[in-house]
Amino acid sequence: MYRLSRLKYVFPLGLFVALFLDGSFSKIFAPLMFSYPYSMSSQLVMLWLVLSFFLEENIHIPLVWFAVLAGAVADLYYSGILGLFIFLYPLIILLTRALDRLLDRNFLNMILIFFIDLVVFESLNYLAYRIIGVIHQGFGDFLVDSLAPTLALNLVYFVIFFWPVSRIYHWALSKRRRA
Amino acid sequence: MHKFFSNRRLVITVVILIVCFGLMAGSVVLRNRRNTPPLIQQFGNDVVGFADAVVAYPVNAVQGGMDSVSELVNTYQENRELKQQVNELAQTKVRDQTLAKENRQLKRELKLNRSLTDYRTITASVMARTPSTWQQQLIINKGQTSGVKKNMPVMSGAGLIGRVAEVNKTNSKVELLSDTSESANRFAISIEGENGKMVNGVITGYDSSANLLEMGQVTTKAKVKKGTKVTTSGMGGITPKGLYVGKVAGVGKDDYGLSQKLYIKPATNFNDINIVTVAELDSGE
Repeated sequence: MYRLSRLKYVFPLGLFVALFLDGSFSKIFAPLMFSYPYSMSSQLVMLWLVLSFFLEENIHIPLVWFAVLAGAVADLYYSGILGLFIFLYPLIILLTRALDRLLDRNFLNMILIFFIDLVVFESLNYLAYRIIGVIHQGFGDFLVDSLAPTLALNLVYFVIFFWPVSRIYHWALSKRRRA
Repeated sequence: MHKFFSNRRLVITVVILIVCFGLMAGSVVLRNRRNTPPLIQQFGNDVVGFADAVVAYPVNAVQGGMDSVSELVNTYQENRELKQQVNELAQTKVRDQTLAKENRQLKRELKLNRSLTDYRTITASVMARTPSTWQQQLIINKGQTSGVKKNMPVMSGAGLIGRVAEVNKTNSKVELLSDTSESANRFAISIEGENGKMVNGVITGYDSSANLLEMGQVTTKAKVKKGTKVTTSGMGGITPKGLYVGKVAGVGKDDYGLSQKLYIKPATNFNDINIVTVAELDSGE
Protein backbone atom coordinates (compact mmCIF):
# COMPACT_ATOMS: atom_id res chain seq x y z
CA MET A 1 0.00 0.00 0.00
CA TYR A 2 2.79 2.41 0.98
CA ARG A 3 4.47 1.90 -2.36
CA LEU A 4 1.41 3.07 -4.25
CA SER A 5 0.63 6.21 -2.26
CA ARG A 6 1.94 9.74 -2.51
CA LEU A 7 3.39 9.23 0.92
CA LYS A 8 6.15 7.33 -0.77
CA TYR A 9 7.63 10.72 -1.68
CA VAL A 10 6.12 12.94 0.98
CA PHE A 11 7.25 10.94 4.00
CA PRO A 12 10.97 10.51 3.21
CA LEU A 13 11.18 14.10 1.99
CA GLY A 14 9.66 15.37 5.23
CA LEU A 15 11.98 13.20 7.28
CA PHE A 16 14.96 14.51 5.34
CA VAL A 17 13.92 18.14 5.79
CA ALA A 18 13.14 17.62 9.48
CA LEU A 19 16.57 16.07 10.04
CA PHE A 20 18.43 19.02 8.59
CA LEU A 21 16.12 21.63 10.04
CA ASP A 22 17.04 20.28 13.49
CA GLY A 23 20.63 21.29 12.84
CA SER A 24 19.77 24.59 11.19
CA PHE A 25 17.31 25.63 13.90
CA SER A 26 19.85 24.75 16.57
CA LYS A 27 22.31 27.02 14.85
CA ILE A 28 20.02 29.94 14.07
CA PHE A 29 18.13 30.03 17.34
CA ALA A 30 21.20 29.18 19.41
CA PRO A 31 20.91 32.39 21.47
CA LEU A 32 17.42 31.30 22.49
CA MET A 33 17.96 27.58 22.76
CA PHE A 34 21.27 27.51 24.55
CA SER A 35 20.92 30.55 26.78
CA TYR A 36 22.74 29.76 29.98
CA PRO A 37 22.18 27.58 31.85
CA TYR A 38 19.30 26.09 29.90
CA SER A 39 19.70 24.06 26.77
CA MET A 40 17.01 22.68 24.51
CA SER A 41 17.37 20.11 21.80
CA SER A 42 15.20 20.42 18.75
CA GLN A 43 13.64 17.08 17.84
CA LEU A 44 11.77 17.68 14.63
CA VAL A 45 12.68 14.19 13.40
CA MET A 46 10.86 12.62 16.30
CA LEU A 47 7.91 14.92 15.76
CA TRP A 48 7.72 13.93 12.10
CA LEU A 49 7.97 10.22 12.93
CA VAL A 50 5.31 10.37 15.64
CA LEU A 51 2.94 12.54 13.59
CA SER A 52 3.38 10.19 10.64
CA PHE A 53 2.37 7.32 12.86
CA PHE A 54 -0.80 9.15 13.90
CA LEU A 55 -1.72 10.40 10.44
CA GLU A 56 -0.81 7.50 8.18
CA GLU A 57 -4.37 6.11 8.40
CA ASN A 58 -4.53 2.70 6.76
CA ILE A 59 -1.24 3.01 4.92
CA HIS A 60 1.58 1.41 6.78
CA ILE A 61 4.79 3.32 6.35
CA PRO A 62 7.82 1.21 7.32
CA LEU A 63 8.44 3.67 10.13
CA VAL A 64 10.90 1.58 12.12
CA TRP A 65 13.31 1.23 9.21
CA PHE A 66 13.11 4.91 8.35
CA ALA A 67 13.73 5.64 12.02
CA VAL A 68 16.86 3.48 11.91
CA LEU A 69 18.03 5.35 8.83
CA ALA A 70 17.36 8.78 10.31
CA GLY A 71 19.05 7.68 13.54
CA ALA A 72 22.14 6.51 11.66
CA VAL A 73 22.44 9.82 9.82
CA ALA A 74 21.89 11.84 13.01
CA ASP A 75 24.52 9.77 14.82
CA LEU A 76 27.12 10.12 12.10
CA TYR A 77 26.53 13.68 11.08
CA TYR A 78 25.53 15.48 14.24
CA SER A 79 27.04 13.74 17.21
CA GLY A 80 29.83 11.66 15.68
CA ILE A 81 29.10 8.97 18.27
CA LEU A 82 27.52 6.02 16.54
CA GLY A 83 24.95 3.79 18.18
CA LEU A 84 22.53 5.96 20.11
CA PHE A 85 19.90 7.58 17.92
CA ILE A 86 19.99 4.60 15.60
CA PHE A 87 18.34 2.64 18.43
CA LEU A 88 16.42 5.40 20.15
CA TYR A 89 14.33 6.53 17.17
CA PRO A 90 12.94 3.04 16.43
CA LEU A 91 12.36 2.55 20.15
CA ILE A 92 10.24 5.69 20.17
CA ILE A 93 8.14 4.33 17.30
CA LEU A 94 7.55 1.11 19.23
CA LEU A 95 6.70 3.06 22.37
CA THR A 96 4.26 5.26 20.49
CA ARG A 97 2.59 2.19 19.04
CA ALA A 98 2.29 0.60 22.48
CA LEU A 99 0.87 3.75 24.08
CA ASP A 100 -1.51 4.31 21.20
CA ARG A 101 -3.12 0.95 21.94
CA LEU A 102 -3.84 2.05 25.50
CA LEU A 103 -5.32 5.48 24.79
CA ASP A 104 -8.10 6.82 22.62
CA ARG A 105 -6.82 8.84 19.76
CA ASN A 106 -7.53 12.53 20.20
CA PHE A 107 -5.40 15.65 20.14
CA LEU A 108 -4.70 15.79 23.87
CA ASN A 109 -3.77 12.13 24.04
CA MET A 110 -1.45 12.57 21.07
CA ILE A 111 0.32 15.38 22.93
CA LEU A 112 0.46 13.20 26.01
CA ILE A 113 2.04 10.37 24.03
CA PHE A 114 4.54 12.74 22.43
CA PHE A 115 5.33 14.10 25.90
CA ILE A 116 6.05 10.61 27.22
CA ASP A 117 8.13 9.84 24.12
CA LEU A 118 10.23 12.93 24.73
CA VAL A 119 10.80 12.15 28.38
CA VAL A 120 11.86 8.59 27.59
CA PHE A 121 14.02 9.71 24.69
CA GLU A 122 15.87 12.45 26.56
CA SER A 123 16.31 10.35 29.69
CA LEU A 124 17.76 7.39 27.80
CA ASN A 125 19.95 9.78 25.82
CA TYR A 126 21.19 11.27 29.09
CA LEU A 127 21.76 7.87 30.70
CA ALA A 128 23.69 6.48 27.74
CA TYR A 129 25.95 9.53 27.44
CA ARG A 130 26.45 9.53 31.18
CA ILE A 131 27.56 5.90 31.11
CA ILE A 132 30.07 6.38 28.29
CA GLY A 133 31.34 9.59 29.88
CA VAL A 134 30.30 12.28 27.43
CA ILE A 135 28.47 14.26 30.11
CA HIS A 136 28.99 14.88 33.79
CA GLN A 137 25.84 16.78 34.59
CA GLY A 138 23.94 15.61 37.66
CA PHE A 139 20.48 14.14 37.28
CA GLY A 140 18.80 17.07 39.04
CA ASP A 141 20.50 19.55 36.74
CA PHE A 142 19.49 17.46 33.77
CA LEU A 143 15.82 17.61 34.79
CA VAL A 144 15.78 21.36 35.29
CA ASP A 145 18.27 22.60 32.70
CA SER A 146 17.80 20.19 29.81
CA LEU A 147 14.66 18.09 30.06
CA ALA A 148 12.19 20.79 31.00
CA PRO A 149 13.25 23.30 28.30
CA THR A 150 13.43 20.53 25.69
CA LEU A 151 9.91 19.42 26.56
CA ALA A 152 8.64 22.98 26.35
CA LEU A 153 10.24 23.60 22.96
CA ASN A 154 9.11 20.35 21.38
CA LEU A 155 5.55 20.59 22.67
CA VAL A 156 5.37 24.03 21.10
CA TYR A 157 6.63 22.42 17.89
CA PHE A 158 3.87 19.83 18.20
CA VAL A 159 1.15 22.44 18.52
CA ILE A 160 2.56 24.58 15.71
CA PHE A 161 3.28 21.79 13.26
CA PHE A 162 0.29 19.55 13.92
CA TRP A 163 -2.09 21.39 11.65
CA PRO A 164 0.28 21.91 8.66
CA VAL A 165 1.48 18.32 8.80
CA SER A 166 -2.05 16.96 9.00
CA ARG A 167 -2.95 19.09 5.96
CA ILE A 168 0.00 17.59 4.09
CA TYR A 169 -1.12 14.08 5.00
CA HIS A 170 -4.70 14.85 4.12
CA TRP A 171 -3.55 16.07 0.70
CA ALA A 172 -1.28 13.08 0.13
CA LEU A 173 -3.97 10.60 1.08
CA SER A 174 -6.85 12.26 -0.78
CA LYS A 175 -4.93 12.31 -4.05
CA ARG A 176 -4.49 8.62 -3.71
CA ARG A 177 -8.18 7.98 -3.25
CA ARG A 178 -9.19 9.92 -6.34
CA ALA A 179 -6.63 8.28 -8.57
CA MET B 1 4.61 -8.02 30.91
CA HIS B 2 5.10 -11.74 31.06
CA LYS B 3 4.84 -11.94 27.32
CA PHE B 4 7.33 -9.17 26.79
CA PHE B 5 10.03 -10.98 28.67
CA SER B 6 9.64 -14.18 26.77
CA ASN B 7 12.95 -15.78 25.86
CA ARG B 8 13.28 -14.56 22.34
CA ARG B 9 12.49 -10.93 23.08
CA LEU B 10 14.78 -10.88 26.06
CA VAL B 11 17.65 -12.20 24.01
CA ILE B 12 17.01 -9.64 21.26
CA THR B 13 16.83 -6.80 23.78
CA VAL B 14 20.06 -7.80 25.44
CA VAL B 15 21.83 -8.18 22.09
CA ILE B 16 20.63 -4.75 20.97
CA LEU B 17 21.77 -3.17 24.23
CA ILE B 18 25.20 -4.75 23.90
CA VAL B 19 25.57 -3.67 20.28
CA CYS B 20 24.38 -0.18 21.20
CA PHE B 21 26.88 0.38 23.98
CA GLY B 22 29.63 -1.39 22.06
CA LEU B 23 29.16 0.96 19.13
CA MET B 24 29.04 4.04 21.33
CA ALA B 25 32.08 3.14 23.38
CA GLY B 26 33.93 2.13 20.23
CA SER B 27 33.20 5.32 18.38
CA VAL B 28 34.15 7.51 21.34
CA VAL B 29 37.50 5.73 21.62
CA LEU B 30 38.09 5.89 17.87
CA ARG B 31 37.22 9.56 17.82
CA ASN B 32 39.78 10.36 20.50
CA ARG B 33 42.54 8.26 18.99
CA ARG B 34 42.37 8.54 15.27
CA ASN B 35 43.07 11.62 13.24
CA THR B 36 40.24 10.96 10.86
CA PRO B 37 37.18 8.74 11.20
CA PRO B 38 37.02 5.48 9.20
CA LEU B 39 36.66 6.00 5.48
CA ILE B 40 33.09 4.77 5.32
CA GLN B 41 32.03 7.21 8.04
CA GLN B 42 33.81 10.04 6.24
CA PHE B 43 32.08 9.17 3.02
CA GLY B 44 28.69 9.06 4.72
CA ASN B 45 29.31 12.39 6.40
CA ASP B 46 30.36 14.01 3.14
CA VAL B 47 27.22 12.85 1.37
CA VAL B 48 25.03 13.98 4.25
CA GLY B 49 26.91 17.27 4.45
CA PHE B 50 26.20 17.89 0.80
CA ALA B 51 22.51 17.17 1.32
CA ASP B 52 22.47 19.39 4.39
CA ALA B 53 23.70 22.28 2.29
CA VAL B 54 20.47 22.06 0.26
CA VAL B 55 18.43 22.74 3.40
CA ALA B 56 20.94 24.83 5.33
CA TYR B 57 21.69 27.44 2.71
CA PRO B 58 18.14 28.74 2.25
CA VAL B 59 17.61 28.78 6.03
CA ASN B 60 20.90 30.58 6.60
CA ALA B 61 20.03 33.03 3.84
CA VAL B 62 16.79 33.89 5.63
CA GLN B 63 18.72 34.37 8.85
CA GLY B 64 21.22 36.56 7.03
CA GLY B 65 18.39 38.70 5.66
CA MET B 66 16.78 39.13 9.08
CA ASP B 67 20.12 40.05 10.61
CA SER B 68 20.72 42.64 7.93
CA VAL B 69 17.41 44.32 8.66
CA SER B 70 17.98 44.43 12.39
CA GLU B 71 21.53 45.62 11.90
CA LEU B 72 20.36 48.42 9.67
CA VAL B 73 18.53 49.94 12.60
CA ASN B 74 21.66 50.09 14.72
CA THR B 75 23.88 51.25 11.91
CA TYR B 76 23.74 54.99 12.49
CA GLN B 77 24.78 54.90 16.11
CA GLU B 78 27.34 52.21 15.53
CA ASN B 79 28.86 54.13 12.66
CA ARG B 80 29.50 57.14 14.85
CA GLU B 81 31.22 55.05 17.48
CA LEU B 82 33.23 53.13 14.96
CA LYS B 83 34.54 56.27 13.28
CA GLN B 84 36.23 57.21 16.50
CA GLN B 85 37.87 53.84 16.72
CA VAL B 86 39.04 53.78 13.12
CA ASN B 87 41.63 56.47 13.74
CA GLU B 88 43.15 54.52 16.56
CA LEU B 89 43.04 51.36 14.51
CA ALA B 90 45.01 52.91 11.67
CA GLN B 91 47.76 53.84 14.08
CA THR B 92 47.81 50.38 15.61
CA LYS B 93 47.88 48.78 12.20
CA VAL B 94 50.88 50.75 11.04
CA ARG B 95 52.67 49.97 14.27
CA ASP B 96 51.70 46.32 13.87
CA GLN B 97 53.16 46.22 10.38
CA THR B 98 56.38 47.80 11.51
CA LEU B 99 56.66 45.39 14.39
CA ALA B 100 55.93 42.40 12.17
CA LYS B 101 58.64 43.53 9.79
CA GLU B 102 61.08 44.07 12.58
CA ASN B 103 60.17 40.69 14.00
CA ARG B 104 60.89 39.04 10.65
CA GLN B 105 64.25 40.76 10.41
CA LEU B 106 65.19 39.78 13.94
CA LYS B 107 64.17 36.21 13.29
CA ARG B 108 66.34 36.15 10.21
CA GLU B 109 69.26 37.42 12.27
CA LEU B 110 68.69 34.59 14.70
CA LYS B 111 68.25 32.09 11.87
CA LEU B 112 64.85 31.27 13.28
CA ASN B 113 62.57 30.44 10.40
CA ARG B 114 59.26 29.88 12.04
CA SER B 115 58.07 30.45 15.54
CA LEU B 116 54.91 29.61 17.38
CA THR B 117 53.16 32.81 16.39
CA ASP B 118 53.16 31.98 12.69
CA TYR B 119 49.97 30.43 11.51
CA ARG B 120 47.85 30.22 8.43
CA THR B 121 44.09 30.47 8.50
CA ILE B 122 41.28 28.65 6.78
CA THR B 123 37.91 30.38 6.73
CA ALA B 124 34.76 28.28 6.82
CA SER B 125 31.09 28.88 7.33
CA VAL B 126 28.91 27.08 9.85
CA MET B 127 26.29 24.78 8.33
CA ALA B 128 24.53 23.41 11.39
CA ARG B 129 24.77 22.81 15.08
CA THR B 130 24.31 19.49 16.83
CA PRO B 131 20.71 19.43 18.08
CA SER B 132 21.67 18.10 21.46
CA THR B 133 21.66 19.54 24.92
CA TRP B 134 25.05 18.13 25.78
CA GLN B 135 27.28 18.11 22.77
CA GLN B 136 28.16 21.65 21.86
CA GLN B 137 29.30 21.04 18.31
CA LEU B 138 29.22 22.97 15.07
CA ILE B 139 29.46 21.52 11.61
CA ILE B 140 31.59 23.61 9.26
CA ASN B 141 31.89 23.35 5.49
CA LYS B 142 35.63 22.79 5.16
CA GLY B 143 37.46 19.50 5.60
CA GLN B 144 40.58 17.60 4.68
CA THR B 145 40.57 18.89 1.13
CA SER B 146 40.98 22.45 2.45
CA GLY B 147 43.70 21.44 4.86
CA VAL B 148 41.73 21.15 8.08
CA LYS B 149 43.18 18.65 10.53
CA LYS B 150 42.00 17.25 13.82
CA ASN B 151 42.73 19.30 16.97
CA MET B 152 43.31 22.55 15.13
CA PRO B 153 42.11 25.57 17.09
CA VAL B 154 39.06 27.37 15.74
CA MET B 155 38.37 31.07 16.16
CA SER B 156 35.41 33.28 15.47
CA GLY B 157 34.68 36.92 16.06
CA ALA B 158 37.17 38.19 18.58
CA GLY B 159 38.64 34.99 19.90
CA LEU B 160 39.06 31.26 20.31
CA ILE B 161 35.88 29.16 20.27
CA GLY B 162 37.01 25.55 20.18
CA ARG B 163 38.89 22.87 18.35
CA VAL B 164 38.32 20.56 15.43
CA ALA B 165 36.99 17.26 16.75
CA GLU B 166 36.40 15.27 13.59
CA VAL B 167 37.50 15.81 10.01
CA ASN B 168 35.82 14.47 6.91
CA LYS B 169 36.73 15.21 3.31
CA THR B 170 34.49 18.24 2.87
CA ASN B 171 33.14 19.06 6.33
CA SER B 172 34.27 18.85 9.91
CA LYS B 173 32.93 19.07 13.42
CA VAL B 174 34.06 21.73 15.84
CA GLU B 175 33.79 21.12 19.55
CA LEU B 176 33.09 24.40 21.32
CA LEU B 177 34.86 25.44 24.51
CA SER B 178 31.46 25.26 26.19
CA ASP B 179 31.41 21.49 25.68
CA THR B 180 32.09 19.79 28.99
CA SER B 181 33.04 16.32 27.80
CA GLU B 182 36.35 14.84 28.83
CA SER B 183 38.10 15.28 25.53
CA ALA B 184 37.35 18.99 25.20
CA ASN B 185 38.78 22.05 26.91
CA ARG B 186 42.45 21.32 26.93
CA PHE B 187 43.94 24.46 25.50
CA ALA B 188 47.22 25.63 26.94
CA ILE B 189 46.83 29.27 27.88
CA SER B 190 48.89 31.94 29.55
CA ILE B 191 48.10 35.12 31.41
CA GLU B 192 50.40 37.94 32.27
CA GLY B 193 50.36 38.39 36.02
CA GLU B 194 51.57 41.38 37.98
CA ASN B 195 55.25 42.34 37.52
CA GLY B 196 55.26 40.67 34.13
CA LYS B 197 55.23 37.13 35.47
CA MET B 198 53.54 34.69 33.14
CA VAL B 199 50.92 32.34 34.54
CA ASN B 200 50.65 29.19 32.43
CA GLY B 201 47.93 26.59 32.56
CA VAL B 202 45.17 24.85 30.70
CA ILE B 203 41.48 25.47 30.30
CA THR B 204 40.04 22.81 32.55
CA GLY B 205 36.34 23.39 32.32
CA TYR B 206 33.37 25.54 31.61
CA ASP B 207 30.81 26.96 33.98
CA SER B 208 27.62 27.01 31.96
CA SER B 209 25.53 28.88 34.50
CA ALA B 210 27.84 31.90 34.41
CA ASN B 211 29.27 31.45 30.88
CA LEU B 212 32.84 31.44 32.17
CA LEU B 213 35.82 29.28 31.27
CA GLU B 214 37.74 27.78 34.15
CA MET B 215 41.48 27.52 34.46
CA GLY B 216 42.24 25.23 37.33
CA GLN B 217 45.35 24.04 39.14
CA VAL B 218 47.20 27.32 39.00
CA THR B 219 49.92 26.96 41.60
CA THR B 220 52.03 30.03 40.96
CA LYS B 221 51.87 32.78 43.52
CA ALA B 222 51.75 35.51 40.86
CA LYS B 223 48.76 37.75 41.28
CA VAL B 224 46.45 38.16 38.35
CA LYS B 225 44.31 41.22 37.90
CA LYS B 226 40.74 41.16 36.76
CA GLY B 227 40.41 42.12 33.12
CA THR B 228 43.83 40.82 32.08
CA LYS B 229 43.84 39.41 28.57
CA VAL B 230 44.20 35.65 28.20
CA THR B 231 45.90 34.13 25.15
CA THR B 232 46.98 30.67 24.08
CA SER B 233 50.52 29.87 25.11
CA GLY B 234 51.52 27.73 22.15
CA MET B 235 52.62 24.89 24.39
CA GLY B 236 51.78 21.44 23.14
CA GLY B 237 52.71 22.28 19.59
CA ILE B 238 49.29 22.19 17.96
CA THR B 239 47.92 25.59 18.88
CA PRO B 240 49.72 28.73 17.73
CA LYS B 241 50.81 31.20 20.35
CA GLY B 242 48.88 34.38 20.93
CA LEU B 243 45.31 33.50 20.00
CA TYR B 244 42.96 35.62 22.07
CA VAL B 245 40.76 33.64 24.46
CA GLY B 246 39.13 36.21 26.71
CA LYS B 247 39.56 38.27 29.83
CA VAL B 248 40.02 37.24 33.45
CA ALA B 249 36.70 37.63 35.21
CA GLY B 250 37.62 36.50 38.68
CA VAL B 251 40.05 34.56 40.83
CA GLY B 252 39.06 31.89 43.32
CA LYS B 253 40.39 28.92 45.22
CA ASP B 254 39.92 25.42 43.87
CA ASP B 255 37.85 22.82 45.71
CA TYR B 256 40.62 21.85 48.11
CA GLY B 257 42.01 25.32 48.71
CA LEU B 258 45.47 24.37 47.52
CA SER B 259 45.68 26.15 44.21
CA GLN B 260 44.10 29.08 42.46
CA LYS B 261 41.30 28.82 39.99
CA LEU B 262 40.85 31.55 37.43
CA TYR B 263 37.60 32.36 35.69
CA ILE B 264 37.80 33.65 32.15
CA LYS B 265 35.11 35.48 30.24
CA PRO B 266 35.29 34.19 26.65
CA ALA B 267 35.71 36.83 23.96
CA THR B 268 33.12 35.33 21.62
CA ASN B 269 29.51 34.47 22.27
CA PHE B 270 29.38 30.73 21.56
CA ASN B 271 25.75 30.96 20.48
CA ASP B 272 26.13 33.40 17.66
CA ILE B 273 28.66 31.95 15.27
CA ASN B 274 28.30 32.00 11.50
CA ILE B 275 31.82 32.20 10.16
CA VAL B 276 34.82 30.53 11.74
CA THR B 277 38.55 30.61 11.14
CA VAL B 278 40.60 27.48 11.57
CA ALA B 279 44.21 28.20 12.51
CA GLU B 280 47.01 26.02 11.26
CA LEU B 281 50.42 26.18 12.85
CA ASP B 282 53.06 26.84 10.21
CA SER B 283 55.98 25.29 12.03
CA GLY B 284 54.15 22.02 12.44
CA GLU B 285 55.23 20.52 9.14
